[in-house]
Amino acid sequence: MVATPAEYMAELQAMTRRQFLANSAWGIGGIALASMLGADKNSNADTSQLHASGSAIDPLMARAPHFAARAKRVIFIHLAGAPSQHELFDWKPALVRHNGQPCPDEYLKGEHFAFIKGHPTLLGTPYKFARHGRSGQELSELIPHLASVADDLCIVKSCTTDQFNHAPAQLLLHTGDARFGGASMGSWLTYGLGSETSELPGFVVLVSGDKTPDAGKSVWGSGFLPGAFQGVQCRASGDPVLYVQNPEGVDRAARRRMLDALQDLNSMAAASASDPETEARIAQYELAFRMQASVPDAMDIAHEDPATLAAYGATPGKASFANNCLLARRLSERGVRFVQLFDWGWDAHGTSATDDILTQLPKKCKESDRPVAALINDLRQRGLLDETLIVWGGEFGRTPMAEFRDGKKDFFGRDHHPHCFTVLLAGGGCKAGTTYGETDELGCRVVRDPVPVKDLQATILHLMGLDHRRLSYLHAGLERHLTGVTPDARVHAGLIA
Amino acid sequence: MPVVCAGFLLLGIAIAAPPSLVDVAADISIAERAHDILVSRCLRCHGGVREQGGLNLAWRDRALRARTKGPPAIIPGDAAASALLMRVTHADPELRMPAEGNALSADEISTLRAWIDAGAVYPVLWSLRPIAKELPAAGPDSSWNTNGIDRAVSTRLASAGIPLPPEATPEAIIRRAALDITGLPPDPALASAYVSDPCAASWERTVDGLLASPAFGERWARVWLDIARYADTKGYEKDARRDVWRFRDWLIDAWNTDMPYDQFTQRVLAGDLLPGATENDRIATTFHRLTLTNDEGGTDNEEFRVAAVMDRSVTTWLAWMGTSMQCVQCHAHPYDTIDHRDYYTALAYFNQTADADRDDDSPSLQVAWERGKTTVPVMQELPLSEQRATYVFTRGNWRALGEAVTPSTPACFPMVGAQHHDRLGLAKWIMDPMNPRTARVEANRIWETIFGRGLVETLEDFGEAGARPSDSVLLDVLASRLQELGWSRKALIREIMNSRTYRMSAHPSEAALRLDPDNRLMSRAPHFRLEAETIRDQSLAVAGILDRTMHGPPVFPYQPDGTWMVVYSGDGWTTSEGGDRYRRAIYTFWRRSSPHPSLMTFDAVSRETCTVRRVRTNTPLAALAAMNDPTFVEASKAFAQRAIDATPGASDTERARWMLSAALIRAPRNEECARLAQLVAGEGAATDSATSTSNELAAWSAAAATVMNLDEFLSRT
Repeated sequence: MVATPAEYMAELQAMTRRQFLANSAWGIGGIALASMLGADKNSNADTSQLHASGSAIDPLMARAPHFAARAKRVIFIHLAGAPSQHELFDWKPALVRHNGQPCPDEYLKGEHFAFIKGHPTLLGTPYKFARHGRSGQELSELIPHLASVADDLCIVKSCTTDQFNHAPAQLLLHTGDARFGGASMGSWLTYGLGSETSELPGFVVLVSGDKTPDAGKSVWGSGFLPGAFQGVQCRASGDPVLYVQNPEGVDRAARRRMLDALQDLNSMAAASASDPETEARIAQYELAFRMQASVPDAMDIAHEDPATLAAYGATPGKASFANNCLLARRLSERGVRFVQLFDWGWDAHGTSATDDILTQLPKKCKESDRPVAALINDLRQRGLLDETLIVWGGEFGRTPMAEFRDGKKDFFGRDHHPHCFTVLLAGGGCKAGTTYGETDELGCRVVRDPVPVKDLQATILHLMGLDHRRLSYLHAGLERHLTGVTPDARVHAGLIA
Repeated sequence: MPVVCAGFLLLGIAIAAPPSLVDVAADISIAERAHDILVSRCLRCHGGVREQGGLNLAWRDRALRARTKGPPAIIPGDAAASALLMRVTHADPELRMPAEGNALSADEISTLRAWIDAGAVYPVLWSLRPIAKELPAAGPDSSWNTNGIDRAVSTRLASAGIPLPPEATPEAIIRRAALDITGLPPDPALASAYVSDPCAASWERTVDGLLASPAFGERWARVWLDIARYADTKGYEKDARRDVWRFRDWLIDAWNTDMPYDQFTQRVLAGDLLPGATENDRIATTFHRLTLTNDEGGTDNEEFRVAAVMDRSVTTWLAWMGTSMQCVQCHAHPYDTIDHRDYYTALAYFNQTADADRDDDSPSLQVAWERGKTTVPVMQELPLSEQRATYVFTRGNWRALGEAVTPSTPACFPMVGAQHHDRLGLAKWIMDPMNPRTARVEANRIWETIFGRGLVETLEDFGEAGARPSDSVLLDVLASRLQELGWSRKALIREIMNSRTYRMSAHPSEAALRLDPDNRLMSRAPHFRLEAETIRDQSLAVAGILDRTMHGPPVFPYQPDGTWMVVYSGDGWTTSEGGDRYRRAIYTFWRRSSPHPSLMTFDAVSRETCTVRRVRTNTPLAALAAMNDPTFVEASKAFAQRAIDATPGASDTERARWMLSAALIRAPRNEECARLAQLVAGEGAATDSATSTSNELAAWSAAAATVMNLDEFLSRT
């Protein structure tokens, strides 16, 4: 689906027409339906280059994938700041043995660090690792609940990136480009597949840890894709979606009366100047009205079974990562294509107790371990795990060396490390109960099956039924892909069940 | 020249318009058709990016090159011996090209064959050919013959068999003009003065009045703020504040004083290098200091200095030349004949400034203003002794230095004028009247700003892969007029406003709908949603609460709590007091990592990089913002109060009439007034005591909100 904006919209319009014929549950109202079908008579596939800005059609209409999909939707859990693979997944006895010794020179050649200065020393993990489940996956004592679902996890130890600062690395992971202006994965997926729900946004973002990611809202932006595909942030406090609540003094009945008058007046104008834009706007106001009910409903966890709340560690009315995991399940089961979680607080450099591996990292693990495991169990129990792909990871890894910023050795932490990091996959057709890739004896570089970020993206798209080379958008003279303009990304069969 | 031009002008029409409507295929040169086949079917793999099999067909000399295996792809004069022909006609589907997609049609193959046999001459890209200076031939209707715009449009419509559209009502025209020129609805006095005497002289007076309004600069500066990636913060992780609003004010003033485009360009790109540069000339150069600055720990200042220099070059080529250079950082352009090396020779113009991604954004200029002093980052050239060498970066990697290069413009662009090897020289090269791109790109942008869609729809790409002009005669009329008017953009806007074309009705005729469904031929006035800033400004203006104070530091209107959550920054949004809450949207504080959500919902852009085109979308989130954003809620209450105050003792129907006409700038129909009054009556019934003042205000606020969410109100028609 290489497309210019105009071609793309024309294609969408053609699909929209088919949908009309196939689907009488369009449900937007007779005026819009009749008029859009009427407009159809005035166009045909060759000439109706419906302009990208003449947005008379619903860009989020569900569309078929390129080939049979393993997963229908994605929950991408981003631990912003980048969790340490050394403390959680990538057990290196040699690193522990050499703890406190100077890092061998060969590991430092040509190396640029964000903060480390001088000759660093190695830092072995203080945490114990054990094998878990039938699969015998090796996991740290910091994440006992994830260990309990080890047989559901596909542990990718060999992810690599080429960015060692947060903002560009987050942009690369989510948009395929370390620079600003790219389209995020959720945008690409809703562009490629549309949305399965017309009651909720197709791409929802949930943020915890009190901060948005370093790269700002660009990590869920639509970049050069139309704005309709950008992520919609749902919030735990205030309006769950910006402006979703009626102003004070306007109840739902009053809003309905206002909308009825609005639609009547719009159609009086449309009768004298039939225009697909007007009809499209009528449809969007009706959808907005439905969202005013469905978004607060989806975002309200108060009526969840107490056992479920307990399993996640979720507390109604509170903003937390645990609540967001439960919300991810609620949104996924309602058909949201891409749920993006960001949790801030994983940037453990070791400059104080608030960013070290002895206090802060265990605290973050405690907050996140139980809810992620609960999410996997919950989806499995509901029969949704097979068709919902969970991705868990940061934007890069952490150094096998201690940082000791400004020479101070009071706290332990690690610097940014682009050469290897661990990402977990679960559900959605990934190979469960397996570890993929391997790093060297110090956990510094990948020695087997490297998975660059673009390969990870290509594999996620593949599980969603999309060919990363065919999912493209012509922008500014370039055929843009999530995986970059050059065709070197590849799907890793070893990650697929 | 005229003969050649006529050929290519027709070409533009044929590619953009549905073939069934304008069949001019016979007039297109075979070279054009052959080259279009290469662009659409071959260059994706055999262009500047991939060069699969070592073959690059984007450049003639490379297509003709000897190859290690088999004959050259193209042997001029001998199609039968050319590998290109052999491969596209190969019997074995494994070997037949294109490797992906359908085989070429018999017609396409015969076109390629005839073209190669005739010498395989590559055509000059349409946007690089000289601008046609002749007034187009007179059209069928003498009232459409007084200027080139109307001649071009009416001839096109007539040739497609579409009747010339009637004029819109005076009410519709005055609303349209005020929104287009000032971004605000017409002042009621101005509207009624024109409507009561809609003659030509009265119209020209009205247009002149609108163009003289200071609101003109506020509306048109918006376009260049997107281009300038203007924001009040530095970007990246901390996204800390920076004081650059003096540049925004300079831009507004440049529009209002009608600074000619050539002077504008010189000041923005190189004001510091002008002889006797004034303070304002230097403030203009803040344009290229609006690149992102990275304060994140551990970042290499040189890496981000280089990133900023790249951004300046890419932005310049995108904004002025309609060329995407970004991709050429790593490899040759996939479709255009811009080589990898060209990126770095173009970059070299910008590589000699003293800034270096420092936290203090130096060098900067201290500027006095009425409430004190502010410091604004500016461009400043390094002394000769400290000038940098510029290198080609291998695969775009700034650490992998290749060949050293000196400043020059890509060879595919015209070599015009004397070549000066600094930013001022580049600005002069851009503005040389023999450079045909500049005027086409800017005239097209002005057209797009008014009509919602460019004649070249891809404002960002005037190259091989971009859209062809929907009407290249009209585009050249506008481009040549822009040059003839001494680069006065205000004068060009005036000519457009005074055309018959501008006055056409938005109601399509039956023939227009049938023969021009997408309105590419301008068979009716376009109907599209207003831009983000205008949506807000119009509501405040109609409500009577818009604060028209100009200039100054950015302001903080209502924004939902918790919108700003930025790492490593304690910065917070404190809502402005008083009139600053109701200033025009252009003065709203712009945080790159978190721009105002209501504006973003209406397709404003984040301004992290240069944006030359906003793509309009239509989503439920926009509907929610228009109904529930406190700014719009307050506006509807204020508008309701205005209506009540303006119509004491009036019936609901009459008050509804006042409200509809104040918002829509037209006489509403009785059924519309009745329906709105019915809503008000229903609100009264719902609250059960319609007599109290507060309930009256609530009921009319519902009516006001309804009117302010009408498609007609939110649209330019």
